[in-house]
Amino acid sequence: MNTTVMDHNMSSERRPGEERKFIGDRGDYFLNRIQGETNGNVSACYQCERCTNACPVSHFMDIKPHQVIRYVQLGWREDLLRSSTIWVCLSCEMCTTYCPNEVRVAEIINHLRNIAAHSSIAPKEKQLAVFHRTFLEVLSKSGRVNEFRLMKAFYSKPHILSEKIKSGNLKEELLLGLALLKKGRLKPFSTRSKLTKDIRKAYIQSRGEIV
Amino acid sequence: MKLSFYPGCSLEGMAADYARSIDAVFKALDIDLVEIDDWSCCGATAAHSLSEAMSVILPARNLSAAEQMGLDIVAPCANCFNRLRFSQQMIQKKVLDIPWPVTGDLKIHDMTRFLAQPAMIKQIKKRVLKPLNGLKLVCYYGCQMVRPPRITGYTDYENPQTLDRIADAVGARVIDWSYKATCCGASIGIGRREIGNSLTKRLLDKARQAGAEAVVVSCPLCQSNLDMIQKDGLEQPVPVFYFTELIRLCFSERRDPKWFKMHFADPVPLLSKINAI
Amino acid sequence: MAVDLKSPVGKVIVVGGGIGGIQCALDLADTGFYVYLVEKSSTLGGTMARLDKTFPTNDCSTCMFSPKLVQVAGHENIEIMTRSRILGLKGNPGRFTATVQKRPRYINEEKCIACGQCAEKCPKKVPDPFNGSLGMRKAAFLTFPQAVPLKYAIDAEHCLYLTKGKCGICRKICPAGAVDYDQKPETLQIDAGALVISTGFEPALTASEGEFGYGRYQNVVTSLQYERMLSATGPYEGHIRRPSDGKVPHSVAWIQCVMSRDPSRNRPFCSSVCCMHAAKQAILTRTHEPDTRAAIYFMDVRAQGKGFDDYVDRARFNYGVQYLRSMISQVYLNPENENLIIETFDHHLNRKKEEEYDLVVLSTGFKPSQGFSDLAATLGLAANPYGFLTTEFDEPVSTSRPGIFVCGGIEAPKDIPETVIQAGAAAAEAAILVSEARYTETATRETVPEKPIEADPRVGVFVCHCGTNIAGVVDIENVVAAVKKLPHVVFATDFMFTCSTETQQNIVDLIKEHRLNRVVVAACSPKTHEPLFQETLKEAGLNPYLFELASIRDQCSWVHGNNPAKATQKSKELIRSSVSRAVQLEPLYDNSYAVVNKGLVIGGGLAGMTAALTIADQGFHVYLVERSDRLGGFAQNLPFTLEGHSPARLIRYLIERVNHHPNISVYLESKLDSHRGHLGAFNGSVQKNDERVDIQYGALVVATGGRPYEPKEYLYGQDDRIVTQVQFSKRLVDDPSWARRLKRIVMIQCVGSREPDFPFCSRVCCSAAVKNSIALKEMNPGAQVVVLYRDVRTFGFKELYYQKAREKGVLFFRYIPEEKPAVYDDAGQLMVDFTDRSSHRDFRVSPDLVVLSAGIRPGEGAMQIARLLKLPVAETGFFLEAHVKLRPVEFAASGIFLAGLAHSPRFMEESVTMAKSAGQQAMKILCKERMKTSAAVAEVDPEKCAACLACVRVCPFNAPFINGDGVSEILPSACMGCGICASECPAKAIQLKHSTDDQVLAKIDALLASAL
Ligand code: SF4
Ligand code: SF4
Repeated sequence: MNTTVMDHNMSSERRPGEERKFIGDRGDYFLNRIQGETNGNVSACYQCERCTNACPVSHFMDIKPHQVIRYVQLGWREDLLRSSTIWVCLSCEMCTTYCPNEVRVAEIINHLRNIAAHSSIAPKEKQLAVFHRTFLEVLSKSGRVNEFRLMKAFYSKPHILSEKIKSGNLKEELLLGLALLKKGRLKPFSTRSKLTKDIRKAYIQSRGEIV
Repeated sequence: MKLSFYPGCSLEGMAADYARSIDAVFKALDIDLVEIDDWSCCGATAAHSLSEAMSVILPARNLSAAEQMGLDIVAPCANCFNRLRFSQQMIQKKVLDIPWPVTGDLKIHDMTRFLAQPAMIKQIKKRVLKPLNGLKLVCYYGCQMVRPPRITGYTDYENPQTLDRIADAVGARVIDWSYKATCCGASIGIGRREIGNSLTKRLLDKARQAGAEAVVVSCPLCQSNLDMIQKDGLEQPVPVFYFTELIRLCFSERRDPKWFKMHFADPVPLLSKINAI
Repeated sequence: MAVDLKSPVGKVIVVGGGIGGIQCALDLADTGFYVYLVEKSSTLGGTMARLDKTFPTNDCSTCMFSPKLVQVAGHENIEIMTRSRILGLKGNPGRFTATVQKRPRYINEEKCIACGQCAEKCPKKVPDPFNGSLGMRKAAFLTFPQAVPLKYAIDAEHCLYLTKGKCGICRKICPAGAVDYDQKPETLQIDAGALVISTGFEPALTASEGEFGYGRYQNVVTSLQYERMLSATGPYEGHIRRPSDGKVPHSVAWIQCVMSRDPSRNRPFCSSVCCMHAAKQAILTRTHEPDTRAAIYFMDVRAQGKGFDDYVDRARFNYGVQYLRSMISQVYLNPENENLIIETFDHHLNRKKEEEYDLVVLSTGFKPSQGFSDLAATLGLAANPYGFLTTEFDEPVSTSRPGIFVCGGIEAPKDIPETVIQAGAAAAEAAILVSEARYTETATRETVPEKPIEADPRVGVFVCHCGTNIAGVVDIENVVAAVKKLPHVVFATDFMFTCSTETQQNIVDLIKEHRLNRVVVAACSPKTHEPLFQETLKEAGLNPYLFELASIRDQCSWVHGNNPAKATQKSKELIRSSVSRAVQLEPLYDNSYAVVNKGLVIGGGLAGMTAALTIADQGFHVYLVERSDRLGGFAQNLPFTLEGHSPARLIRYLIERVNHHPNISVYLESKLDSHRGHLGAFNGSVQKNDERVDIQYGALVVATGGRPYEPKEYLYGQDDRIVTQVQFSKRLVDDPSWARRLKRIVMIQCVGSREPDFPFCSRVCCSAAVKNSIALKEMNPGAQVVVLYRDVRTFGFKELYYQKAREKGVLFFRYIPEEKPAVYDDAGQLMVDFTDRSSHRDFRVSPDLVVLSAGIRPGEGAMQIARLLKLPVAETGFFLEAHVKLRPVEFAASGIFLAGLAHSPRFMEESVTMAKSAGQQAMKILCKERMKTSAAVAEVDPEKCAACLACVRVCPFNAPFINGDGVSEILPSACMGCGICASECPAKAIQLKHSTDDQVLAKIDALLASAL
């Protein structure tokens, strides 16, 4: 497989000199909260690693899916909310589908992403977080999401352009945008849904509130 | 037959060609697709990622509208289908208050499954004027249409058959492959392009390795993802068809190359090679 | 015969003809009961018949099993009913009437001579279910070459005549006129006092599950299919080929826990045998094809049986089998070469890894055999949610309906020895129920009168292919041709499996036809097969001592597999030498002696008491000797079991019964201090303080028990916050308020087990940890429980408790022996440091208590008994049984049996089962009036004896003694025929009959003749 060896810092192996993790008291509170909110069978996990093996992007994650479950069991909220994992996860549901213990790994990761979005912790994968937020903003303005408008809004967010420049992706993405326009796949004008007011209200009401 | 139709945002933009082919196919099949009144976005990955409440509420608005119309829903986009079903289950479980009247009792079909029912396959076969003999393709379902099974209802999530049956009905040579439901990474494409690209490229490699000359999909996100990456031209382009494009081809006396102008990997050479256009 | 309606019927129905059913039938028929062995398919054999080799000895399954099949087939008190099922059952325990339906075979069993012409000519090919559909068979078929009964059958579903009214070829060509398309199902009423269910299991994976591409990709097979691929009688004749293209696979991967330990498929239990099964298949693969890579994907290695860890280590280190601890989700196909791709995550390189294999074997779990749920409904038996007839720990072979017992894979997935043990226990329970009717229904075999033999030796030689075991290397045709030229040989031929039942009849006919008076079989090994062929000679009216076996499998094809030409040459020479000896053989006649109908049991723990009661309840007297001052043994220290039962209560009940049983004499604070004699007639003495009591007994059960290991590790004994699981569970019960105060505890597994100086797994400790964790969590849900393990070995349905413990929040972390946890005191605070292998992180925890899962060691009295009885003991101090697979409760020394922890660490229900089984084996001796002895014993020529005492000193069985005439005499009943004395005697006064100097020299001369 054409796997790129990613950042070695993302390896799940122990790093030399790393401090011992202390198993302390706080664990159960967080565990019970996540379990209650996701009904995700967190405790049933027997660390077989099927989820991590099934996950198409585990090599881009700093905490691998099976470790996410372990960390939830131990109540390590901070580590999880600061992780790249919760943003990199594609919600492709491979993990949940193949888990023999019906641990809802994908739902748990998504839920952690929700919690992170509403917390003060800066997301490790900033672009991804901003993109999702932009999407919802466009949505709540026009009820539907026009790709052209979405892209415009996304690139006008602070730091996005500069980050794209830094990562060297900018040129590539501009060319792609042009090509799409040429093919007629990006439409500068679009339809809207009339009921945007309702949607906005629902959005505001639900903000900060998690199922 | 009459169904309510939830096109989803992509069909107005990136996947306008999909929309056109759907229109033609359903007309030919004599099925009336009635667009849901003033439908709105299902929230897609973003709502799900940032606000689980919104990921229930947004689709619910469309379900409510469809219920007013009293028509079962068909959704062409895998992601929309998944979000609608998810919302429906949450509504049935009554996990939160929905600002619109909604029961979640309607049937929600993904379009492939709807058209792959035995009766529909019969209808399709009946209308095929010229089968696509010689078109070697693999069917790609992606993740959202089949997973998680408890939401999508696909028990054969590893080896789904709906697209296979339809492609077979229009005379194509369907090649079995193992990557039918392997994620293409569309949802991460914009924020972390290199991750998305690595997944997409790999899928195309696997399709080629299986001996496929084309991929057939049903999801606008999958299509654009698998197609866009070929924008700079590849040695061995693999056109990515919407399944309705194939049906439309076979149904039509006059086949217009312009139907495929939105594709990056141009299907026309391949189609002329097999005398399909 | 007048029938007393209250008295039981001396007949038992055993349902299921696999190894469990067969063993149970034999254990009943050999103790005086008549048995109906009811099997739904066309042949006995079950799953074991489909296995190639078995772990941990790599013995050939067919070679072990065939003698058993032959024994059952020839047993005068076993009636085999194939293609039959139970349709109804009336009556009460002791007197049942069963309705049995026999489906037509369409071939008359009496007439069929198994010539196989029907199958040869049958035009209809059918995927062969016996071979997991990898090969084809015909609609007229024989399931496998050693089938019992060896009768062909017609598959009504596929037969062209029966389905379409066309064809009819087989009826035309059958030389025996046995084909009968008009056969109709028959329904019979059968009386029996008890029933035993042993219907076994079958693979749980079906193509419709879609797991790992099974049914989708040709090169994905189940473990049972692979077993057939390895087998000489399988679809590829024992060569490893992959189904898609017949190529030798360069790499094979096993995926463990398919349809096991998988709550998402409602299969949350462990299937117990797959870990070892995979290790064995991987070893065999590496032996067959040394260049083929073998990799096993697994999560825990469950090698909890005797010697299993050692076997897995051999797989890894001697055979280079790769063990990859990782479970995978999906198998992908490489369309270019039909290879399969397995994706895992490489933690070290932080990347996804794709590995390609030519073949993937799915270690599928088991489910009850098809149709079992109907049987359970018919009989009104309660099954567990997964369809198995699980039992209670104090009655490990009883079903929910009195009078119906259970054994084998249908009770819970289990391996062969556990099945054989449980079969004996089920036989014991049935026998106890109907013991009053012993010998009321049995027949004795009519012996064929011996015919006078002609003076000139007329030798017949039969050369065996042993499937491909021999024929794969040795050129049989060539051998037979050479043999025919030997002097005195009047007839020679070859057979595919000479030991099959049908061939026996063939041999009888050939003996008569050619007036043979010496028989040589060139085959496997005399150790396993000589008695079988001697029986055949008897059938033909020939003295059984006129038989000789040339071991051309063990000594030619197996050891010289890479040199067929020389192996063939050596075979010829061995046969020539055997023929020379055969010419010298003379008829001998067996003796018999009276049996002492009393048993002796050593050890008054759970196993000892159970064994004693098994014998006593069948009306025979037992001496029970216990070293300590009370009965009860180790089990009385255990307040509760994993399943929540009370061992203490069971022990109290057993003590009560033993003490008041009229047939049991208990000797406390006593030990056996002398032991002489032989099977059926031992005498010994029991020493209690200064007193000695002499006792006589016909059989003896060793149940010396076990004791907990006293840890030296982890500060045990230095800090009272470190305790063992046994101490912990006692304290949980005794002091609940203490338990409720515990905040955090750490359990450490494998303390004193799986270590270089004690390489055994103690089998019970994982379950003990799970049990105590659950108990603590139930009393004190807030307590944090951390279990540090190496492999979690909660096999079978115990897995459900592992699941329960996790769900209660018990945290399981895996450590490796190279990184043992560290337990230390940090300024008064107890600390444990450890490294978790799945998150790859170092942890620290400060518990209130550390609980050590200390293993099990053999009981205190074991060594003394081993010395006194000259019994073999493993390095670990546990006794060694006669054969790990098929004779798990016997010693090689006849008349001595083994049960409980003395054999190996085991659960209480397993000890109870084993004790019942050992008791039943002892019953096979005790219920007889007389015992036959072999005639092949040593004899002293008093004229030549100088009374030098050499024989007295060397005999391991104490058989020779100096008699009243001042010369040595050897008791035929005590002599085992080992011949040591004969070779030691300086005066050449001793001849070992059947191995006389003349006979041995003839053999040697013939061998040397070729060297010249
Ligand atoms: S697949 Fe399920 S049980 Fe296995 S490690 Fe992942 S979450 Fe745990
Ligand atoms: S849902 Fe997320 S964590 Fe699960 S397999 Fe897909 S990408 Fe990996």
